[in-house]
Amino acid sequence: MNTKIIRTLIKKELLDVFRDKKTVIMMLVVPVILYPLIFIGAMQVFAAISSSMEKQDYRIAVDAEDDGAFLQALLEISSEKENSGKDEADGESYTLIAYDVRSLDSNHDYMNKLREEEIDAYVVGRMHKDKMLYDVYYMSSVTNSAYAGNIVMDVFEKFREEMTKEKIWQAGLHASEILEPILFEKQDISTNEQSLGSIMGSVLPFMLIISLLMGTMYPAIDTTAGERERGTLETILTLPVASRQLIVSKFITVATIGIISALLNILSMGGIALYMQQIMELGENVQSFDMSRFIPAILIGILAVFAFSLFISAITMCVTSFAKSYKEANNYITPLMLVVMIVGYIGFIPNLELNRTLAMIPVANICLLIKNILVFKIDYMIIAIVLFSNIAYAMLAILFLSKIYDSEAILFGDAKSSFQLFEKRSNIQKGGVPSMSDAWFVMALTIVLILYVGSMMQIKYGIAGLFGTQMIILLVALSVVWYTKKDIRLTYGFHKTGARSYLGGVFMIIGFYLINMVMVTGLAYLFPESTENVSITFSEIMDGNIVGVFFVIAVTPAICEEMLFRGMLFHSMKARYRMPVAIGAVATLFGLYHMSLVKFIPTGLLGLLLCYMVYATGSIYPAMMMHCINNALSVFISCYPKQVEALLPVFSQDTLSLSDVFVLLGAGLLLFGVGLMILQGKHRKKQR
Amino acid sequence: MSENRIMADSLVKTFTKNEKKNKKVEINAVDGISLSVKEGEIVGILGANGAGKTTLLRMLSKLMKPTEGCVSIRIGDREISDDIEVKRHIGYLSNNTKLYGRLSCRELLKMLGTLYGISDEAVGKKIEEISEVLSLGNFIDNRIEKLSTGQTQRASIARCLIHDPEVYILDEPTLGLDILSSGAIIEFMKRERERGKSILYSTHYMEEAESLCDKIIMIHKGKIISEGTPAALKEQTGKDALRGVFAELIVREGIADEH
Repeated sequence: MNTKIIRTLIKKELLDVFRDKKTVIMMLVVPVILYPLIFIGAMQVFAAISSSMEKQDYRIAVDAEDDGAFLQALLEISSEKENSGKDEADGESYTLIAYDVRSLDSNHDYMNKLREEEIDAYVVGRMHKDKMLYDVYYMSSVTNSAYAGNIVMDVFEKFREEMTKEKIWQAGLHASEILEPILFEKQDISTNEQSLGSIMGSVLPFMLIISLLMGTMYPAIDTTAGERERGTLETILTLPVASRQLIVSKFITVATIGIISALLNILSMGGIALYMQQIMELGENVQSFDMSRFIPAILIGILAVFAFSLFISAITMCVTSFAKSYKEANNYITPLMLVVMIVGYIGFIPNLELNRTLAMIPVANICLLIKNILVFKIDYMIIAIVLFSNIAYAMLAILFLSKIYDSEAILFGDAKSSFQLFEKRSNIQKGGVPSMSDAWFVMALTIVLILYVGSMMQIKYGIAGLFGTQMIILLVALSVVWYTKKDIRLTYGFHKTGARSYLGGVFMIIGFYLINMVMVTGLAYLFPESTENVSITFSEIMDGNIVGVFFVIAVTPAICEEMLFRGMLFHSMKARYRMPVAIGAVATLFGLYHMSLVKFIPTGLLGLLLCYMVYATGSIYPAMMMHCINNALSVFISCYPKQVEALLPVFSQDTLSLSDVFVLLGAGLLLFGVGLMILQGKHRKKQR
Repeated sequence: MSENRIMADSLVKTFTKNEKKNKKVEINAVDGISLSVKEGEIVGILGANGAGKTTLLRMLSKLMKPTEGCVSIRIGDREISDDIEVKRHIGYLSNNTKLYGRLSCRELLKMLGTLYGISDEAVGKKIEEISEVLSLGNFIDNRIEKLSTGQTQRASIARCLIHDPEVYILDEPTLGLDILSSGAIIEFMKRERERGKSILYSTHYMEEAESLCDKIIMIHKGKIISEGTPAALKEQTGKDALRGVFAELIVREGIADEH
């Protein structure tokens, strides 16, 4: 490749992008101005709060029949605080103004004074069966009163301790031996750097990822959709330059800007960290950090930032290349940003170890890697996997991009958005199936909602939450179909089909179930831990009544999941791609949707079968029936383990013998074959 | 004697459009057009909106790949058909070839010169030369987004001239311009013709085409309905202006369609 051409193109792109104020502001403002501002603001607020607490006086009225013993204790604590208050690092210094109500004019209603916030706490003590019983009145709704209440309670703790000691001493015993028969203390062996790293590890990766995304977003839009909107794309295409040279130069430009903005972010955060360290040292808090110990971490971190910026640049460019204008590109970026942010939250999950599988999952791998190196956990193999996989994904995306830039439909296509969802409803034409963009949007939104709302509902309401999740699956798609005025029958495949389709379907799904059993057992053998988790959650759900369980686990998914996957998604894909691609994509998404490595293969295959059913019969109903049978079989086996064991012992075993495998596979294949023949018979009849 | 410079042989371009109910409809925007342009010749392409002019010119300048047929140009005694090599010898101008607003005219010309493989020194000389001819002098270092319409049009012509191409393909270059600006473009075309360059251009302005073109090609629904010198076309239809010729031919074509 001619480097001079690429160099010239990069120079031009950089010049072009840097002269756009929006990009420069996005790149500079956040790290250089916003971070320090947020930080200084937070410091100010914090300082204001703590100084207001320092100056605080608490007025406490005491009315007790104890000859002033407790009042004495209160005043002692107060004077102790005043003397040592300024040295206290935690800043909890205050003055207690305590007075004995009895010595004063006792006509006042102190309860009322408390309500009117003239005093902060009111202590009443009286003899009750040979013991003093104290009541501490305070108002939890008033901040000062709540604090005063707590302080008084603390004083009571000490007061009681003193009294105990005295009593023990009076009985002629040694107080400390009785009260403290053992001694214990907590010792942190983490180095200061490790503690700092672990604090930063949860926030820093997320901040870095978001700042990189923000940094690359504008140049990515500018060099792709922006170029098209300004009409310079055709100009550049008249030049004797190959499209891959064009892509590579655009990509390098975007990645460079991403890296610059990420470095600015790191520098700004580093500056704040150093500043904080200075302040801490001034505050005589002798927790000093040896910043040089962070150097290897920082170096690996910078490498990770480089790799990630390649990845995120390529991905954002892929997304924005489909857009014809800034506005449209922004619409496309938003879902991408959501996904990146959600995956970025993985850094906040405690105890999640970066293993080799996770090291290959984009975004998550970078988050976890940075988190790991900040606590000085450095495994070079995993670092290599993370860096390599990011670069590999970036290269794949670039290949895809150069394909886009060879496609005339995209380069010269008419300027109509493929997202109908963002159009006014009155402008949308009636009929047809949802566009691919809309279908993707539905999928993304559904998954986000399942992750947040669905899982919350399941934790809180159990089986009812599961039903709610299914409703999300149904309703998101339905509302988009309604809004874009799509043909419900076409979109969901609500067509009649013959009895042969159903009969064939029954045979096929039972056959599939048997084959699947062999596979699941095999997978359980390969990944023992993950299947255990699956069975635990399943048995938890099973505590409900059988009819309800059957309804929620077998019937609802058969309707809702089928309508989303084999209905809307499949028919949108079918309109756009060739049949094998459409079927494969839906099956893969169905597998991914179950969000478990172990479930991926069996559910993916189920998706494949159900998709084929819709394709072969032209109707969604047989697929719904099959999905229902499949889930019902699982419910049945889990709910009636004894009956199943008596009838067909194979189904309740954890491990399968070789002969079992052959019997199951043989029977499964036979049933599946018979089903297929019945179905094909229908097909042939139709062709005639 | 003059030789053929641009040669296009039975070009077809098919677009697939998604119509209602997901039925795909194939449309031939250009349907079997062959043409040639000689050295020192201006050929005008005339046609109504949607006749396929832009698609034809995009294929000729190698922005689009024809579904069928091929395009080649002759430079000296070499016949070139490789996309990138052909682009090297073409100056293409259309309403969609906007300039980078954030660059100055000089920066743009310099960058383009490098991309066309011209040495830095030669580019500098060429820019001075073009600046003189098109009188870009007082705005050549301003950002393009700050220029007036006429200045931008001159900058666009400068863009086409930087690599001194043998062939100019201009898609409605005078559309929406005032008399002065369109005059500058017509001057430019005449001047380049004098220098033996080949120019293929599309327009809606019949009078302009009549006075300027050595040959006229009229297209309708992706097909050539007539071609020849303006005089021959007028003779053929018995009209005294090109405007009448065009209307007459369209009507004839319409009648032929019905049969």
